[in-house]
Amino acid sequence: MSSSWAVLEKDLRLLWRHRTGWLSALTFATISVLTYSFAFDLVTAEVKPLLPGVLWVTFLFAGTIACSRSFADEVEQGTFDALLLAPVPRTALYVGKVLANCVALLAVEVAVMLLATILFNVPLLTPALVLSVAVGTVGYVSLTTLLSTLGAHVRAREVLLPVLSLPLLVPLLIAGVRSTSAALDMPNGDAPWTLLLVVFAIWSILGSALLFPLAVER
Amino acid sequence: MTAIEARSLTKQFSGVPVLDRVTFAVEDGAKIALIGANGAGKSTLLSVLSTLALASSGTFQVGDIEADGDTAALRRKIGVLAHSPMLYEELTPLENLRFFAKLYGVTDGAERAQVLLERVGLWRRRDEATHVLSRGMHQRLAIARALIHRPSVLLLDEPETGLDQDGLALLDEEVLRAPGMTVLAATHMLDRIEAWADGRITLVRGRVATAEGTGVRTAVLEAVQAAAPAAQAVTS
Repeated sequence: MSSSWAVLEKDLRLLWRHRTGWLSALTFATISVLTYSFAFDLVTAEVKPLLPGVLWVTFLFAGTIACSRSFADEVEQGTFDALLLAPVPRTALYVGKVLANCVALLAVEVAVMLLATILFNVPLLTPALVLSVAVGTVGYVSLTTLLSTLGAHVRAREVLLPVLSLPLLVPLLIAGVRSTSAALDMPNGDAPWTLLLVVFAIWSILGSALLFPLAVER
Repeated sequence: MTAIEARSLTKQFSGVPVLDRVTFAVEDGAKIALIGANGAGKSTLLSVLSTLALASSGTFQVGDIEADGDTAALRRKIGVLAHSPMLYEELTPLENLRFFAKLYGVTDGAERAQVLLERVGLWRRRDEATHVLSRGMHQRLAIARALIHRPSVLLLDEPETGLDQDGLALLDEEVLRAPGMTVLAATHMLDRIEAWADGRITLVRGRVATAEGTGVRTAVLEAVQAAAPAAQAVTS
């Protein structure tokens, strides 16, 4: 666990110093939410039913922009090899990376939700909604972090990551949107969407943690 | 006591053998130069020995630890200086060393980082971002990184890269001639080998062609030594 903590600490420090990746994600997210706010008629129309889609599309692409750099920077600097040379379980390295990506993406998401609250005049920072977004983020980040490892050595990684991740993320997106709808007090059927979100997150974490050592083997 | 023992190590990329049944043993504390033309397999051999790449067949051991045994213990024994300095450019030299100290579980990481930065002449620049340092300073810092966990075996890939005369002297003193440490270093600087190496292994197209000097044994050398008494008996 101490090695995961060391990787988390190092990655957060690097994210703070080398802000390009996460600022790009934040800029994209801000422009996206602003554009949606211009597109909807906020005076007469009910925008609540549209918000889950707005939020999750924004989170999805902002996360893809940010996570694609997770291992690419390490590979480019040769530090990925240095991590693999360390006498620690590969899974511990993966956990550290996932935690760092989660912290950074959650920060972007909170900023987006705050902005959306102001623009759409709907309170979004409620405990139920924050829980849905947090669980969805954990599931999303754990999968995309694994996939970014696979694409880190490929020149076209920015294209490869969405192509690989989006089909696998369909259940998470459905559950995320539906569970967000429920958190906004809108009808969403009888299915336990939040439970599905939790199950997906657990599957994603466990599966990715098990596959990561194989993914980095040469 | 044997520090490194490779047994018929073979590595293929897409069916093309880059290492072909490489067999040798390096004695504890020996300084061995690994030489050969570009593409001879030196870097691949070091990658396999450092556990970064898996051998297609064959195996090796470092000290008494087999490659398929306790990998963490094996990695703890090895220090690696590769082509790339393997440093975080946005971190400072001190932060880099402290991070790797934590990763290797070095209990006196902060003190060790300070000692090493002083030894490689970077203590005064400890708080500057690594990307502002010159290529030679990167290499000095990479040497410190490789030594942070007090390895007993050092695997070096062209360690002289980017170093000036002072840097080369430092490399000799801290690494290549460091007492008690086993060194296997791939190099093209043949004129410097005499100054530090006990022996040398020459790779040609992925095979061990020759092994000379002390501290190293190869299948070729052992075959020659085994054949010598027999040949003497025949001629007498």
